[in-house]
Amino acid sequence: MKDLSTLQIKVDDPWKNPAENGWDVIDGRTITDNRTLEADVVIIGSGAGGGVSAEILSQSGLKVIVLEAAKLKTSDQFNLDEGEAYRDLYQEGAMRATKDAGMTILQGRAVGGTTVVNWTSSFRTPRETLNFWRDQYAVDGLSREELDPWFAAMEKRLNIEKWLVPPNANNDVLKRGCDALGWHAEAIPRNVSGCWNIGYCGMGCPTNAKLSMLVTTLPGALKSGATLIHSAQADTLIIEGDTVTGVKVHPLKDDKTPNGATLTLKARAVISSGGSMQSPALLLRSGVPDPHGLVGTRTFLHPTNFAYGIYDQEIAPYYGAPQSMYSDEFVFKHGVDGPAGYKLEMMPMHPGLNSALVGGYGETAFEHMQRLPNLAASIALLRDGFHEDNTGGKVELRDNGEPLLDYPVNDYLLEGTKRAHLTQLEMQFAAGAKEVRPGHAHAPYYKSWKEAKAGVANLEYAPTITGLGSAHVMGGLTMGQDDSRCTVNSDGSYKHLNGLYVIDGSVFPTSLGVNPQLTIYGISARNATKLAETLTA
Amino acid sequence: MDQGINRRGFLKLGAAGSALLATGSGLTLLSGCSSNDGPAEGYRYFRQQDVDLLTPLVGAVMGPALAAAGATAADGMKAYDDLLEGAMPGTRATLFQILDLMQLGAARWFLTGTWAHFADQSDEELQQTLADWSAKENGIARMAFKGLTQPMHMAWYVKPEAASTTGYPGPPKRVIA
Repeated sequence: MKDLSTLQIKVDDPWKNPAENGWDVIDGRTITDNRTLEADVVIIGSGAGGGVSAEILSQSGLKVIVLEAAKLKTSDQFNLDEGEAYRDLYQEGAMRATKDAGMTILQGRAVGGTTVVNWTSSFRTPRETLNFWRDQYAVDGLSREELDPWFAAMEKRLNIEKWLVPPNANNDVLKRGCDALGWHAEAIPRNVSGCWNIGYCGMGCPTNAKLSMLVTTLPGALKSGATLIHSAQADTLIIEGDTVTGVKVHPLKDDKTPNGATLTLKARAVISSGGSMQSPALLLRSGVPDPHGLVGTRTFLHPTNFAYGIYDQEIAPYYGAPQSMYSDEFVFKHGVDGPAGYKLEMMPMHPGLNSALVGGYGETAFEHMQRLPNLAASIALLRDGFHEDNTGGKVELRDNGEPLLDYPVNDYLLEGTKRAHLTQLEMQFAAGAKEVRPGHAHAPYYKSWKEAKAGVANLEYAPTITGLGSAHVMGGLTMGQDDSRCTVNSDGSYKHLNGLYVIDGSVFPTSLGVNPQLTIYGISARNATKLAETLTA
Repeated sequence: MDQGINRRGFLKLGAAGSALLATGSGLTLLSGCSSNDGPAEGYRYFRQQDVDLLTPLVGAVMGPALAAAGATAADGMKAYDDLLEGAMPGTRATLFQILDLMQLGAARWFLTGTWAHFADQSDEELQQTLADWSAKENGIARMAFKGLTQPMHMAWYVKPEAASTTGYPGPPKRVIA
């Protein structure tokens, strides 16, 4: 693998001078007095749901304000420093975890949301998942046939197509292993244009090749007259009678705490697009009517487990498009609502992430860290939310109003993890690994598939020691026409208040079984278009 | 599942842990080691009692990684402090709650298997403590081990001088156009 540390990247940043572009961008840190702004629509959050909604609603002639808690950071500041990326572009500085520390959560916090730091994998929602939503939650109008035109439109907008460049060595492990075993393996569709194939999607794309919301829909909305307010946190919804009429906002200082001013945003429609955890938390802080106590429940993570393989040849898992091959061999193998199914992918590994996942202590830990150049990291994403033993987590509020996810790791997830570990161990040995270790605090590196099988049979599968993480937070504000189990209608409107809409991944009734960005784009485009029609009628 | 945990047992353990955390925090407040002391000199977030407690532990957890970068346990501790800058106030409050608890000998015994303060243990004793702690079967001890050591690793290896000790050649250079 070529050493990329001498490569120079020089690319124009479209955000260099927003005012020169005619864009109305307000830095919350400069708001020190109390003031009120009005618009047709206020969108809370600028990620996959908020970005798409902002562009569609602005282009239909409505005055839109997009509110974002994160500080504006754009390609000129994306310096590929792993620590700075976690600090500035991730929720809780990448230290977010479930309440009992059983699962770590990588979720974006940026202008552009998680789309700024995701690994670009873009899949249409599986038919099985959408059918399950229709049958179990009476989700209406979101069959695969009805959504396909919306997916096609967003694929065009974001240049989503199958990545035809050869995979990096890390992703080639998945291809070789699956091919050898006769398992499904295919190239991943990615939202990129002119990708440099360097491997820094997770730190903010320095070349603007990744078509995140930061370089597509948000500029599109600003061009159509929208206003972006960043570094300002939505505190509570303003509720008058049975109608939401605006939102109370706290501008934030650099340290993410309120600067003392209050900004009041008033609008005919308020859209919550903060993403899972943030959107349910906003509704909880606001004390919205919730007759069945559903807000925050059924939050899902695609609980993800890991396997680390060591190869004779250099893998350099830090370089090259981070995700380009996947396998759906095991996603629906045991039916839709049986034992946990899982999608197989690879994970890019930079030194910080590698060390946090590989763990350990002392001399052994350092020896493990030094194997990074020859390491391949596979992941299995468990589908959660389809079985009666797996109802996901619940969003709670910390004393200061921040969201916290209580999602105990139970036997259902541990059983699925054990099977997924075995699958990955078999796959990596089939790909030629010399040693493979499952992501488990008590597991050693195994030297053969036979030894691995026997070893895993004797491992204790229990919370915390079993390595689990998530980069996909979904659900918490279940969508569907079944009023006893859902809080949001299929068009995104909140059931118990007028003027409030939820357009983001928190409306999913279950996890998806695929990386979520394209599902969020498609459903958001559909529901934002419907809302634009209503508001302009 | 053959080796599965009993969910009710785990929840009970979780409740016991929360109670312990609450009691521990109360006790540390009474003993004067409260979370209101303010950061230690040279630190943005960690308080002096945290620095005293954790610096020896950082040295033991990071092991030869520190010397390989020409660094000391104090450098690792500073890196840990830097990592906290990205966290939310609530994230830090949870961490401080565990650290307040670990000021108590009884809590250290329950969580790590020894009453001794980390600063009073030799290098060999600390390695033994880590071996015992990481092999513990109680869920709270496991949470504390992961909750404290995982950020230590991440905090250290995101530093360019530490990253290069893993064989990572480093990122391309961003040049402003």
